[in-house]
Amino acid sequence: MVVSSLQSPVTYPIHSLPAPAASSSYPVEHQPRRAAIAADHLNMVFRSGGGSYPALSDVQLRVPSGIVQLLMGPSGSGKTTLLSILAGILTPTDGAVHLLGEDITQMSRRELARFRLENIGFIFQGFNLFPALTAAENVELALKTKGVSRRFARKEALDLLEQVGLADKAKQLPKNLSGGQKQRVAIARALASDPPLIMADEPTAALDSHSGHAVIDLLCRLAKERDRTVLMVTHDPRIIDVADRVLYLEDGKLTQTPQS
Amino acid sequence: MASVARKNLFEDIPRFLVAQAGIMFAVSLVTIQTGILNGFSRSTSALIDDSEVDIWVSAEEMVNLQLTLPIPAATVSEIHAMDGVEQAEAFISRTTTWRSPTGDIAPVQMIGFDPASRMFRMGQLTEGAIANLQEPYTVIPDRANLGALGLDEVGQSASINSLPVTITGFTRGTQSIASSAYVFASLRTANAYLNSGLTTTSNCQLEGDRLTCSNMFERDASDIALDPPRALRGSDGITFVMVKAQPGQDLNVLSRRIEAEFDGMVAHTQTELSTLTRNYWVGSTGIGFVLGLGAGVGVVVGVVIVSQILYASVVDHMKEFGTLKAMGASDWMIYRIIIEQALWMAILGYIPSIALCGGLGWWTFATQGITILITPGTAVVVLGITVGMCVVSALFAIQKVTHVDPAIVFKA
Ligand SMILES: Nc1ncnc2c1ncn2[C@@H]1O[C@H](COP(=O)(O)OP(=O)(O)OP(=O)(O)O)[C@@H](O)[C@H]1O
Ligand SMILES: [Mg+2]
Repeated sequence: MVVSSLQSPVTYPIHSLPAPAASSSYPVEHQPRRAAIAADHLNMVFRSGGGSYPALSDVQLRVPSGIVQLLMGPSGSGKTTLLSILAGILTPTDGAVHLLGEDITQMSRRELARFRLENIGFIFQGFNLFPALTAAENVELALKTKGVSRRFARKEALDLLEQVGLADKAKQLPKNLSGGQKQRVAIARALASDPPLIMADEPTAALDSHSGHAVIDLLCRLAKERDRTVLMVTHDPRIIDVADRVLYLEDGKLTQTPQS
Repeated sequence: MASVARKNLFEDIPRFLVAQAGIMFAVSLVTIQTGILNGFSRSTSALIDDSEVDIWVSAEEMVNLQLTLPIPAATVSEIHAMDGVEQAEAFISRTTTWRSPTGDIAPVQMIGFDPASRMFRMGQLTEGAIANLQEPYTVIPDRANLGALGLDEVGQSASINSLPVTITGFTRGTQSIASSAYVFASLRTANAYLNSGLTTTSNCQLEGDRLTCSNMFERDASDIALDPPRALRGSDGITFVMVKAQPGQDLNVLSRRIEAEFDGMVAHTQTELSTLTRNYWVGSTGIGFVLGLGAGVGVVVGVVIVSQILYASVVDHMKEFGTLKAMGASDWMIYRIIIEQALWMAILGYIPSIALCGGLGWWTFATQGITILITPGTAVVVLGITVGMCVVSALFAIQKVTHVDPAIVFKA
């Protein structure tokens, strides 16, 4: 399988990397490689209370491997719905989704869960950290879920927290961290076991613009270092400059440029 | 790796304490009810269990240790003479009426045995000595019955069937909760009390090679002389013959031989008589049902409390569980977290409960003379019940998690 070539062992060659630039941006012109994410003729119709609501219509997209792809659009346009389908969390009404060359729409629930576990790191608007676990324990839990042994999980969690600049906060509970710090813990968690895909839904929505920017810079830098593919839903126009590509969603339809 | 289950549990301390109090209540209820049942059941057969009798021979109508018909004392020597029997002794157990020093009457269970016996043990003595019973018209009651018998110290006098009686010691912890107050006496003394005012005639006939005897008891109101009690005659009524078998004898075979030899009699091993007696009292009093009901209520209360707490905890962490599911964690991993949480609740509720019940058992025995018997077996069974209770409670929370839609993770 092609996927395996993307999966690196659980050690990170991060120490030898240069410090991040104060304001980093990545070139938009990018040599497209193999599509990490591909969707064909996606339709999603929500049925509730007798009525039906078409949230996505005939969505067609290709996200090349190793880029930062933004998905923008007004509220209610279907961004979260599309992300959920592309992540294999929601099943589309029809259409196909290929991740890393595999057709996830053909997978069973169990196979999908396994695929997500091995290949996708998630970042959420609301952080979704276990409030009773410390920063390090939250990352450890993800590592353990992914099958990393107890012994290595601790050390790796601390490594990851160091990479997101939170080595000194490892023992803090989420309630003692700022929003930006919480999101950095979530980034460390998403990077656990180094998945080839990272999917984020409005990761900056709960953050002020300064820490929002810092978080996005960090995420993009770490993804680039690892040659990972990032699909990020956002409202935040200030993020555009860090992205390699931007797609717009309006009324469930995908466009290259904003209509409004 | 830190345990998510444990951390979730301790996250909200007040809620945790409420849960633990509930579990402790439930576990204690189950333990105490079981302990009372054990204590009750054990007390009814304590005399049998503490003795070193191999076989108990009685009239075939025998229902339990305390309820049977008399058999002639002559049986003792006849059984003693049998092959395979090392020792045979008479045992008397019958109800009679006690008149306290203040004149109040009470039913008592008169228990007569040979004070020199090495087979029968009347239990732990707190005052006096068994040998004191050789003195005519002396008895040893159990401390548990001081109130019922109107007694407070050794040396006091009362009367049984209008014969005087002197207290020469006290036992402790021998009393059956189901029976009238035990009063221990020598065979002679017991016989004198039970037959005072009665004359007995015995009618024996030889039919072929078999001797059949019938006893006739008649009241004789004029018999008031207080002579030292006489030795038992062959025609006197006793209740059991206690048999010690020679080493190496098969007790079941010996029992059948005794039954074949003596018409109208039945022979039971110690275990058989003990079980018979326990089952009779547990069954006839309905105590097993009543206490079982109490224990059942405890379990139900426990399940309700634990499931509420677990359910609330799971609902609180829906987003995190959803996140785990979105990440691709298997259902089983999430169930494990919830079940582990349930097990922690079980263990942390169980340990203090058992300690509490142990203390309570000790206190009730010391102050009330009531035995709440918490055996290691009981402790293990209650632990099993507690764990079962908590795991069953976890099922409600588990089905909630099973239906969580991982799509909720993207909802802010
Ligand atoms: N489970 C559902 N059942 C019915 N309708 C739904 C469901 N989920 C989403 N929708 C509808 O689909 C449309 C797209 O929703 P979605 O959450 O994808 O929007 P969005 O672009 O992420 O908006 P926002 O920027 O506010 O997060 C909305 O009109 C929403 O009401
Ligand atoms: Mg959304």
